[in-house]
Amino acid sequence: MIRIGLRDARAHFGRFVMSIIAIALGVSFVVGSFCFREMMNNQVDQMMASNSDADVYVRGNKEQKENSAASFGGASDSGSGSASSSSDSTSTESKQYNRIDVSLVDTLNGIAGVDTAEAVYEVNGLVLVGKDDNAVSTMGGVTVGMGLAKGTWRSAKLTHGRWAQSKDEIALHTFAAESAGLKVGDTTKIVYPDGPHDVRVVGIFSTASSQAGAIIIGLNADTAKKYFEQQTGQVGTARYLTVYGSAAGGQPLTVEQQQTLADRINHALPSDAHAVAITGQSVRDDNAASTKKALGFIQPLILIFAIIALFVGSFIITNTFSMIVRESMRGYALLRSIGASPIQVFVTVAVQAILLGLVGSGIGIGLGWIMVKGIVALMANMGTPMTSAVDPSVSDMLIGLLVGVLVTFIGASLPARRAATAPPIQAMNETVNPEKPVWPRGIIGTLMVVLGAAAWLLCWRIAWANDAGVAVSPWTGFNDWIKTLGTGWPLGIGAGLVVIGVIVLAPALVTPTSAVLGWIPAHVFTVTGRLATRNLSRSKRRTANTAAALFVGVAIVSCLGVVAASAKASVAGIVDSGLKSDFSAMSVSSGQIPDEAITAIKKTAGVGTVSRSRMLMGVTYGSGDDATAAMTFAEQPSLFTKVFAPVTNSGDANKALRNGELVVGLQVAKDNGWKVGDTVKVNGRQVVIDKAATAKAQEDYQAQVKAKIDGLTSEAQRLLASGDVSGAQAKSAEAQQAAEDAKNVDPATLVKTKTEVTHVSMKVGAIIENSIYRSMVLMNDDAAGKIANQYTMFTIMLFINAKQGTDVAALKTRLIKAVKPYYVVNVQDRDEFKSTMSSMVDQILLVLYALLALSIVIAIFGIVNTLALSVSERTKEIGLLRAIGTSRAQVRGMLGIEAAIIAVFGTILGMVVGVAAGVVIRAVYQANGLSALSIPWNQLGVFLVLAILVGLVASVSPASRALKQPVLDAVASE
Amino acid sequence: MARHSAHGKATSSKPSDHVVARAIDLTKIYGDADNQVIALNHVNVEFERGQMTAIMGPSGSGKSTLMHCMAGLDQPTSGKVIVEGLEVSAMNQRQLTKLRREQIGFIFQSFNLVPTLSAEENILLPLQIAKKPIDRAWFDQVVHVVGLEQRLKHRPSQLSGGQQQRVACARAMMARPSVIFADEPTGNLDSHSSREVLGFLKQSVKDYGQSIVMVTHDPRAASYADRVLVLADGNITQDLRHPSYDQILEVFADEGEETHA
Repeated sequence: MIRIGLRDARAHFGRFVMSIIAIALGVSFVVGSFCFREMMNNQVDQMMASNSDADVYVRGNKEQKENSAASFGGASDSGSGSASSSSDSTSTESKQYNRIDVSLVDTLNGIAGVDTAEAVYEVNGLVLVGKDDNAVSTMGGVTVGMGLAKGTWRSAKLTHGRWAQSKDEIALHTFAAESAGLKVGDTTKIVYPDGPHDVRVVGIFSTASSQAGAIIIGLNADTAKKYFEQQTGQVGTARYLTVYGSAAGGQPLTVEQQQTLADRINHALPSDAHAVAITGQSVRDDNAASTKKALGFIQPLILIFAIIALFVGSFIITNTFSMIVRESMRGYALLRSIGASPIQVFVTVAVQAILLGLVGSGIGIGLGWIMVKGIVALMANMGTPMTSAVDPSVSDMLIGLLVGVLVTFIGASLPARRAATAPPIQAMNETVNPEKPVWPRGIIGTLMVVLGAAAWLLCWRIAWANDAGVAVSPWTGFNDWIKTLGTGWPLGIGAGLVVIGVIVLAPALVTPTSAVLGWIPAHVFTVTGRLATRNLSRSKRRTANTAAALFVGVAIVSCLGVVAASAKASVAGIVDSGLKSDFSAMSVSSGQIPDEAITAIKKTAGVGTVSRSRMLMGVTYGSGDDATAAMTFAEQPSLFTKVFAPVTNSGDANKALRNGELVVGLQVAKDNGWKVGDTVKVNGRQVVIDKAATAKAQEDYQAQVKAKIDGLTSEAQRLLASGDVSGAQAKSAEAQQAAEDAKNVDPATLVKTKTEVTHVSMKVGAIIENSIYRSMVLMNDDAAGKIANQYTMFTIMLFINAKQGTDVAALKTRLIKAVKPYYVVNVQDRDEFKSTMSSMVDQILLVLYALLALSIVIAIFGIVNTLALSVSERTKEIGLLRAIGTSRAQVRGMLGIEAAIIAVFGTILGMVVGVAAGVVIRAVYQANGLSALSIPWNQLGVFLVLAILVGLVASVSPASRALKQPVLDAVASE
Repeated sequence: MARHSAHGKATSSKPSDHVVARAIDLTKIYGDADNQVIALNHVNVEFERGQMTAIMGPSGSGKSTLMHCMAGLDQPTSGKVIVEGLEVSAMNQRQLTKLRREQIGFIFQSFNLVPTLSAEENILLPLQIAKKPIDRAWFDQVVHVVGLEQRLKHRPSQLSGGQQQRVACARAMMARPSVIFADEPTGNLDSHSSREVLGFLKQSVKDYGQSIVMVTHDPRAASYADRVLVLADGNITQDLRHPSYDQILEVFADEGEETHA
């Protein structure tokens, strides 16, 4: 029997091509997704191992809830709508602890077993200017400056030169050097937070793991510290101190050694330091886990498409085998009549299925591997090289193989059973058994959709209640439970229920829908249209399943399409309704705009007024433990008249700003329960020069230099005495050099600063609800001056108005020229301001279209296959139609209309569900910047037209097959 | 038997108005050179207008092949088929479609109706396919004759086998084709239903002058015909005018001997 099966498989091979492709696609996604996850995890582990390579970390011992947006990088402009809503959920994953005093380093260095203990300072938002005089940027991400010296970062190995010793020197990571085209000895520019600076590359270092496209610049430690303090407003404190142990002789410690060292440090730490030592391994594990969690959404996304492909695949296989079994019925009847058992007949069919599954999954595994390779190549091409392996593991392959074979077997088992159990006599009988009624599915499906919709409503309600600050429901127990639930769960469960519900429900929808969708074709092409419409209702399950592939794909794409369009519209809305200035300028590195650049802009001919938004660092409101952080900006009093029209919730925003009162975003007001007229304690920070410490530092430095020169001089004298004249000359030259160096040293590096906390009481003058200001507090410059100073306030954005009668286009050219030397400043007119967001959204949409294309390809397979099956079932009927005068074109038309209706059916279902999901998501994230709802009707229209085309294209080959059959064979009775 | 076969070959000359369809030197050979089966062997025959002609013969005699070639369903190896003065054997697909729409009606043994359409829709289907106007009076008349007034809204699956064949007859009649080809129209029916269907076909010939060519191996069915052609091994062996049931049975008894020999 197995032999018969194998022989049949060979004979049917042509038939199997489509099934093999479908299975291969599905399996490739499964394997690819696993492979991809492993690769990412590997990469994360590798990066953790080399980037957080300390043996012990010392951190605060008290967990803190801190608004992450209040730290640096919260320079989010209006564009952060949907992007930030997704990252918010991940950034809160990692726990924050209280900051600890950097001076602990001295304590730590005194502990036995500690090699070096250090605070490593990172400076974000730097821009490296490459050899071609352009800013170096990669797809992969950020440019980070780190204060590096010998021993501060064990995994970083100097390959050329040395570490930076002053603000004028930098060392570059190999990838950064490559991207910038720089080598040791080259001079270039680096844009520090306060402006461009000429620097010399003095060293190149490498790390074991690639840095996923990050540009890492090794700065002089003091320089890094200075900018770090400026950026964060945190002076003398750090989140982490890194400790390298000496137990392994310069090599990383084992986990036990780390633990021993951590215990010893904990023992030695003074209790008032509020600090605790933990092993490097546990930090790496935690960080890796949260990073992996953040990346975890990628695999399910790929898996969704794997499921679509496999679903369609199993369905194509069922169809294919139905055809094969139907055509071979006589053979099976013969086998049965000569004594084959049903099991044996089943085996002949099952063998073909398993063979098919093996071939399909084999190809799929290969495809998956190629896919991941392709992704990695693409990422490397875009500047995010990966160093981890991408080859699928044996378990990945086994999973792929198992999934492929199982899906094939399941798909084939129903037709195989039919082959096995059909009585020999029935083999001749062409009668198609009437389909089981579909109403039970209709009821179950409707129920699921209703439940899903209810979950969505709940989600909406939760979001609305959060927004309006009222309880979700009158039941407190329910409310508490809801609070722990958040909006994500109901949203996801609702989506799942609705999607599955629609798939369950779909067969019951086929007849009414095809009657509606068939109305036009039935009236334009009277006969063929009517025939096509009725044919669809013949096997409703098959029609619905065929449409399902397109349904899921279109649902995903149109949901994201609505969200994307809404995000665009929200930004455009802000600009159209609120923005009054002609230009805006901001830093591409999301950092501050250098003062020189501001001056340059002001001096540009034709510029009328320039308003600047300055962010105040580390501002908190309230007192003691209740103090909450909020993004705080200093604005010109004319902000609301010249730059942005306020959307006032209560109070008079314009008057409040002019009078030096606080103008509070709705979200902040709600979080803190503030009302207009309330008086709030504002705590700011000012960095001032610590005169005593500075004097001491200079003294120390002088003493240090003197000691060095003295040492060298006495060494020179000793050498001279021993007759080594050239040695002595070298030493005294060195001494002279040291003295010279000391003269050249930037006195600023020796200035010690300290932070003073300021407290001012201010009145809440107005609450506004412009979406870009929702989570901000605004005050005028005078008020800001009382709580912060130039070291703790940075210009984030400029709004520029042209002088009356100036040619705006020409002014733009002049402005761009004016800021060119500062590299980071980007001047945009109103349309560009809109389109920065739009182009980002468009890029997301591009990915969506790729996904759509994929589901279209899969859907075409499904439709082709379904039509092929139904053509093979209707051979006689089509023959009859031809015999009574139906032309070939009419047959093609009939099948084309059938296919188009299937495609449109799936597409419309997908659109309805997708748009509904998009509307819900938009409503839920309204507070996060999705203030306007926009449904991309044009796009949806294109999808619909595309669906019709897809259907028509899919019908071509089955129709040809139907027409190839001679009329005679179809109608001849025998 | 030889003395009867002469008649078939004699009527091969010029066309005349009373002939609706004719075969001229029609030959059909199946299979390749090694394994030839001669289904039709230089057959010449004329089918007369306003008559019901039955083609009889044992399995493999070529009776179905003759009908299929006449109806343009099959391509003859050589020879000509002419229906209403049109050469069917030289037609392309488009012309064949036109021919089927205008000149030919079909009744098959089984699977005559489109299962998704009601009886009425099935009857009107050929006209709609051809985008011809529907003659309601004619429709009512045809429906009345086949006795389906009460079942017009039913789907084929809701009709008995006899009713289905009557719907098929009505459909074939509806377009008023020059000739109806019926392939074992009663093959799947019980004797009662057979009589109904045959009675209707006979009536349509008598009352409306419809030409019908029917392939059958049922002597009872053949006895309704005005003329019975008997085929054996690709040749017309007998051409009987208005034969009685007994005459036909006698022919079959002979054939039985022939084929078993």
